[in-house]
Amino acid sequence: MDTVSADTPEQIQLPIGPSGAPEMPAQVTPPPSTEPEASDKPAQSARAGAPRGATPPAAASAPRPAPAAPARSEDRIPARIVLALQGVTKSYPNGRVALRGVDLTVPDGDFVFLVGPSGAGKSTVIKLLIREEIPTKGSVLLDGRDLARIKRREVPKIRRKIGIVFQDFKLLPNLTVRQNVAFALEVIGTPHREIASAVDRSLRVVGLVNQADQLPSQLSGGEQQRTAIARALVHNPRLFIADEPTGNLDPLISWEIIQLLLRINEMGVTVLMATHNAEVVTAVRKRVVALEDGRIVRDQTAAAYEREA
Amino acid sequence: MFVFIGFSIRRAWLGFWHNGLMSVAATATMVLMLLLLSGLLILLTGLDATLKYVQQEVQVMAYIKDSAPGGDIASLQDSLAHMPQVTQVTYVSKDQAYKDFVARHPDEAEVMKSLPTNPLPASLQINLREPNDYLDVASYLNKQPAVDRVLNIKQTVDQMVTIIGVLRTAGTVILLVVGLIVLFIIVNTIRLAVVSRADEIEIMRLVGASDAFIRWPFIFEGGFVGFLGAAITIVLLWLAQGPITGFLSEYFKVLPVEAGTAVGQNIALIVLGTGVGIGVLGSYLSVRSYLHR
Repeated sequence: MDTVSADTPEQIQLPIGPSGAPEMPAQVTPPPSTEPEASDKPAQSARAGAPRGATPPAAASAPRPAPAAPARSEDRIPARIVLALQGVTKSYPNGRVALRGVDLTVPDGDFVFLVGPSGAGKSTVIKLLIREEIPTKGSVLLDGRDLARIKRREVPKIRRKIGIVFQDFKLLPNLTVRQNVAFALEVIGTPHREIASAVDRSLRVVGLVNQADQLPSQLSGGEQQRTAIARALVHNPRLFIADEPTGNLDPLISWEIIQLLLRINEMGVTVLMATHNAEVVTAVRKRVVALEDGRIVRDQTAAAYEREA
Repeated sequence: MFVFIGFSIRRAWLGFWHNGLMSVAATATMVLMLLLLSGLLILLTGLDATLKYVQQEVQVMAYIKDSAPGGDIASLQDSLAHMPQVTQVTYVSKDQAYKDFVARHPDEAEVMKSLPTNPLPASLQINLREPNDYLDVASYLNKQPAVDRVLNIKQTVDQMVTIIGVLRTAGTVILLVVGLIVLFIIVNTIRLAVVSRADEIEIMRLVGASDAFIRWPFIFEGGFVGFLGAAITIVLLWLAQGPITGFLSEYFKVLPVEAGTAVGQNIALIVLGTGVGIGVLGSYLSVRSYLHR
């Protein structure tokens, strides 16, 4: 039996104080080990100028280390590829073709918005990544492994490299915040003594330390989504997938969630976020991959969300 | 491994109570089936013991009239011993019969003592070379003035064998039917448990729980229903031990019933094995058909 998850939860080094402020601290501390280039200043300032709901004014003026702005990985040549879709076509048994020859490469540490109208194939891409589906043609590589070729028994191991959140949170209503997060580790056989510290760390990242013992029903929508994010982070995924994470949230709270995802990205986790939220995409200025009718119609860095057609 | 087992047991325990009413129903039917099973086992054990006792080598028994003179008995014994069909003749005197009876039924020693005379007849116990030669010997014995009555043990044995056979077959059929019903109930109980926790299972899948972590808690849960049912059954049987022993010695008086600890332990083991076995099998079937994708 697989009792111990391969990687210990030491990768996430939190830039957050021990208090774990319940409000989203808006200040984005640079990741400890990322590139010192200042090439991403525009993106940074774009974010600063974006509507920021819960941002305490003090945070904006907090001292920022000089070479702070995290660089985009495309500036660097050898960045490792976290996921790659190569000529992926997916048709469902009912005859619907969801993806047609999609090529997509996401290097380590990237932040990618996956946009497009409903039915464009966003969900299919996500289903392929978590290997709920396998492509009809082409291959899906996650961390260098072809997902169509792995054995059924190995699917759980692949999923442990991924953290995923959804529009509907998918929290267990009878468990507290802490138990919900711990659940993700318990069910993959993590030893007890490792669970508590990993859960605490994850709760600090999302700023829910003070709500740890509340039930999901006692939380706001934003807090519920942050619980889901904590759960998706607790096992140190390589890839963080957010499927319409702000779909059920009002704009202000949505913005907090985006800030949180950006910070997770800065901690070194590759983030793929499927969304309809044009405002957010435009404001954040990250890489945007637009799908339409199963094809990638646009793949731009630091882009806005332009609705073609 | 310990993490896994601990996790599975904890989840099974929670699951059992989460789905309380259904679990109780499943446990109750399990108890019913196991009681039926042990009832049949006890009955068959009693009958088998009776059979063994009766089936001892003696095949024909001739009761001797009290009035018969000793010389007649001796010559009868002698002539019987010379018959080619007979291998052995044993004379059991009235006193000996009395002693044997008291030894076998100590409870009734008082009753026997209170009688004015010894009511038990003396007898000749005759072993035959071939059981089928019974008729020759019996007709010869019936002609003797000293003989009161001839008992054909073989006939009794044959009747008992038939009864035991019928009982065993009917009991097994009934048990199988009830067992299938119990299995069906377990399958459904676990299926309900699986459905009611579909959300958890979805999350477990998403965060990369292996199939073992998803399935085994349910199998433990089924095993737990079986274990609990068996435990309740064993407690009930233990409580009813007195009446059962009473029943056995009442109905199978002829024999020295040893419905003591040995039989009790055997039945407890069979009950436990059957209960846990059906519980695990039922939940395995349920989980396999539902969670296999």
